[in-house]
Amino acid sequence: MTTIIFDETRVTTLQQQTAQKPWAAKTGKWKAAVVLAVIIPLAITLALMFATDLPKALIMVVIYLPIQLIAGALAATATRGRKNALDAMIIVVAIGATILSLVVLVSVVWAIIAKGIPVLSGAFVSQNMTYISPATPLGYGGIGHAVIGTVLIVLISAVIAVPLGVATAVYITEVRGKAVPYVRFFVQAMSGVPSVVAGLFILTVFILTGVLQTSAFAGALAYAILMLPTVARTAEEVLKLVPEDLRTGALALGSTRARVVLQVVLPAAKTGIITAAILGLARVVGETAPLLLTVGFTDKTVVNPLTEPISALPSFIFTYVSSPYPDAVARAWGAALVLMILVTVLFVVTRILTSRRPGR
Amino acid sequence: MSVATEEKRDLTAAALSHRGDRVFNRIITGCAFTALVVLAGITVFLGFQAFPVLQDQGISFVTTTAWDSFGTPPVYGIAGMLWGSLLLSVIALVIAVPVSLLLSIFLVFLAPKPVSKIFTNLIDLMAAIPSVIIGLWALYILQPTSVEWATLLNKYLGWIPLFDSNGNFIGSPFTAGIVLAIMMIPIVTSVTREVLGRTPPDLINASEALGCSMWTMLRYVALPYGRGGIVGGIMLGLGRALGETIAVFFVLKLVYDVNWFHILYSGGGSVATLIVAKFGDASGSLEQQVLLAAGFFLFAMTLIVNVIANLIVARTGRVKS
Repeated sequence: MTTIIFDETRVTTLQQQTAQKPWAAKTGKWKAAVVLAVIIPLAITLALMFATDLPKALIMVVIYLPIQLIAGALAATATRGRKNALDAMIIVVAIGATILSLVVLVSVVWAIIAKGIPVLSGAFVSQNMTYISPATPLGYGGIGHAVIGTVLIVLISAVIAVPLGVATAVYITEVRGKAVPYVRFFVQAMSGVPSVVAGLFILTVFILTGVLQTSAFAGALAYAILMLPTVARTAEEVLKLVPEDLRTGALALGSTRARVVLQVVLPAAKTGIITAAILGLARVVGETAPLLLTVGFTDKTVVNPLTEPISALPSFIFTYVSSPYPDAVARAWGAALVLMILVTVLFVVTRILTSRRPGR
Repeated sequence: MSVATEEKRDLTAAALSHRGDRVFNRIITGCAFTALVVLAGITVFLGFQAFPVLQDQGISFVTTTAWDSFGTPPVYGIAGMLWGSLLLSVIALVIAVPVSLLLSIFLVFLAPKPVSKIFTNLIDLMAAIPSVIIGLWALYILQPTSVEWATLLNKYLGWIPLFDSNGNFIGSPFTAGIVLAIMMIPIVTSVTREVLGRTPPDLINASEALGCSMWTMLRYVALPYGRGGIVGGIMLGLGRALGETIAVFFVLKLVYDVNWFHILYSGGGSVATLIVAKFGDASGSLEQQVLLAAGFFLFAMTLIVNVIANLIVARTGRVKS
């Protein structure tokens, strides 16, 4: 047994070697340089912040950023040679840009939570604003009517936009007519329509002409314009993932093309289609501009989608922010928290659905 | 007869002898053209409203800044708003493009996989925040900070005309531009991240083997490789910025005059915001029609930007795959 040709241990050592980058080794000297390059600029900056009364923003940009850049460059030069000084600077600004973006996100979320939580209560999410003046204390009245309004508008728009969006996707992936590139192009172009223009369009076509009144249905039509491209593009991606074997198999068994789509392809892509619908909902649920032009405003609970003005969460927030009463502004923050929770739930659901294997 | 030939052309995939299939295909094809119908509808209906306004006001509608509903005759000009939309977008681009590029460089080339995954999700969540919430936050949290920054800029760089002040920093294009940048960053990042992530590993390894530093690799491999996609992503963000209405409404003081480049002045313009701000108290059908005409110009502007962006993205996508 002296002639072992295939030795597993040797294979693994070879693999380890290929994975290594000797020039990128994290030696003790390198670690020390990185630690120094992080600590020294921070220490200088903090010292300046406490010692002088220069504005903190000024210190961060005029003092901290240049020092940190120089420190990074010096550390890189000391350990890896001058060639890498520029790399260190890029790493510093890239991390800086990332932190900046996350600070913005955290700040937005934190502001909504901090200002929204005190307002939140059972009464706030269930009651409406009838008989409530802007000066009424926060214990009374709430956004129940706006929640119902949002749900109503979003559901109606989903009923309109999801079938149309899925049909568009079916046209692109299943029917494969001659106009496929054009249909794709129009869907792309439609996804760029500003929300305020969608609102104006519904307003001119249906409300100014007297066909519809300002109502949940008019708002849902405007929402549907914004929702359709999202649904169509996601559904297209999903339908492409359905194995071709399923289609040919069903055709070979003698089904008609329509049956292949309706009873084989669409059921196989069920989860994906649901994801597409939810992505569409998440796209529109916070849109404000179209609502301001199409659904009007009211303080009472409305479930009639056709002839009465209705309130929704975005338009509620918009109206109450502009109020001079602090309590009214507080209600806007509360509504913003509820809306944000709604958006986050939809976001998380789509992420969970899309992270699973497609077609299941 | 013509129907029969049409069907033969349509259904090259399989001969559709079944009548149900033909009906099904027609329904699907009809639905697929909803997007075209909507786009055409917007063009026709808003154009129909815009035409009389242009006829009435002439070219001065887009070149002057007069806004007087009670004059005889009433005069309207949206030059300040059109320029304002562009100015805000430029400010947003100047902030958002470097940040998005650096952010995607961090996510693709620097961050460990799990960190990159979490941060990507967080940035995507940022894109999902409704604009009314961004506006609310901008009004109460961002505006005080950005006013502080504006004061500093004016104090130390005030000798540059760009950073001149008219004494009040609230409601400046500067703040509104920052808000737009915040809304653009997730959109631009999601495209640039994907484009940079598609750089072939072979090329990166080869450049490393040649002794390139990361900067050299970015400069000569990754960025040229993804240039088209990056430009397209930036233009998609620009389209979003031009059409953004509500978030800007909260932090920009609308003035009809053209604010050419004084980004710290209190007061600027934005077509989209003008529509929402004025529609509620539009006096009479003429002013309403004027706002619809403004909407038509907004639609045309964003449509052009978006079409160009999509063409660029599509072209580079094809070359790559």
